[in-house]
Amino acid sequence: MTRLHLPAALLGLTMVAMAFPVQAEDAKTIAATICSGCHGEDGNSTIPMFPRIAGQDETYIIKQLKEFRGGQRKSDVMAPVVASLKSEDLAPLAAHFNGQKPKGQDARDAKLAEQGKGVYLDGNENSGLPACIGCHQPEAVGHGVYPRLAGQHPEYLLQQLKSFAANERTNDASRLMRVVAKRMTEDEMKAVTEYISGLGPK
Amino acid sequence: MRGEKLIALQARGDALRGEISFEPCQGCHRIDASGRTSGSYPRLAGQHGTVLIKQMTDIRAGRRNNPKMEPFIGDHVVSPMEIADIAAYVSNLPIPKEIGQGPGTGIAHGKDLFAKDCATCHGERGEGKGEKFYPMVAAQHYRYLLREVKFIRDGDRRNSNPEMVKVIGQYSDEDLEAVADFMAQLVAPKK
Repeated sequence: MTRLHLPAALLGLTMVAMAFPVQAEDAKTIAATICSGCHGEDGNSTIPMFPRIAGQDETYIIKQLKEFRGGQRKSDVMAPVVASLKSEDLAPLAAHFNGQKPKGQDARDAKLAEQGKGVYLDGNENSGLPACIGCHQPEAVGHGVYPRLAGQHPEYLLQQLKSFAANERTNDASRLMRVVAKRMTEDEMKAVTEYISGLGPK
Repeated sequence: MRGEKLIALQARGDALRGEISFEPCQGCHRIDASGRTSGSYPRLAGQHGTVLIKQMTDIRAGRRNNPKMEPFIGDHVVSPMEIADIAAYVSNLPIPKEIGQGPGTGIAHGKDLFAKDCATCHGERGEGKGEKFYPMVAAQHYRYLLREVKFIRDGDRRNSNPEMVKVIGQYSDEDLEAVADFMAQLVAPKK
């Protein structure tokens, strides 16, 4: 009798599971198996060249994933990874990482970070460099098409700024970041990325 | 009047949408649209909506010379509707208290010049006239005013009212400094 009941019990379990957000569970599995090697299971990468994505805006993550797949954002690392994902996985995956607690670090060079704070809050009036705070918000929390930057690895931020300036990264909204990055000196880039890296929870 | 300036003027701009569309502008003009007291960027908060629409559409059409701003106001950034939204939002923001001031030494001379040549269009208190696209010049940052009146006199702004160019064409640098000194300290009238 017990054996006869087992399939029914399994079916029952499956139905219970389907009634609950299976997608979230799938996203967690995908994150653990596919993303965690570089980004960390909770999205707080410890490797400087791979961005921290914990707490990142959902729409921003989805946009990036789609554009890695479509080729609008070029990355030899991310392209094959995203190609292995199903379209319906993108939104739950974005929600998963958005829901993770971001964890950053103190800026390593306090003096440089202080210079960078000036760039972040005021830009540079002489070169027409807008202040980052205008789009990326106070404390670099970002929203919508303007990503969260707080606590990001400074190496990664610097690399992205240079890519925008060199027209290597071209998936920025309305070409705004390419214009902005081209108006920055290398010193300003280094200072502001140092400042941003020290923002947010540690 | 024609083109997207007309479209934007006819559109019913929405301040709530405008708050979102204004975000890329905040990096220079500040979150409260107060600009910079240094005068590098003008105070926009409380300016007439029609004036804002005219200037935005003129800059992106290349009629007003402004290479710093041009990439941020192009038609790949905002639509004419969004320009109307931004104008609706910004024109209703409160005028900030902190305005970059001139040396103060030219106020008396500036007051005379202003009464004689400027007040007819820009209003006795510098309040401007929205329906004529005459900007409010009261409570604008001194350095910005000075830069622009020099541009206008010397033909570098390009979208200036020809009548104004005629009037201030004979002004000396000292006259321009004086009139800017006077305008910056005018208290913006309540609407």
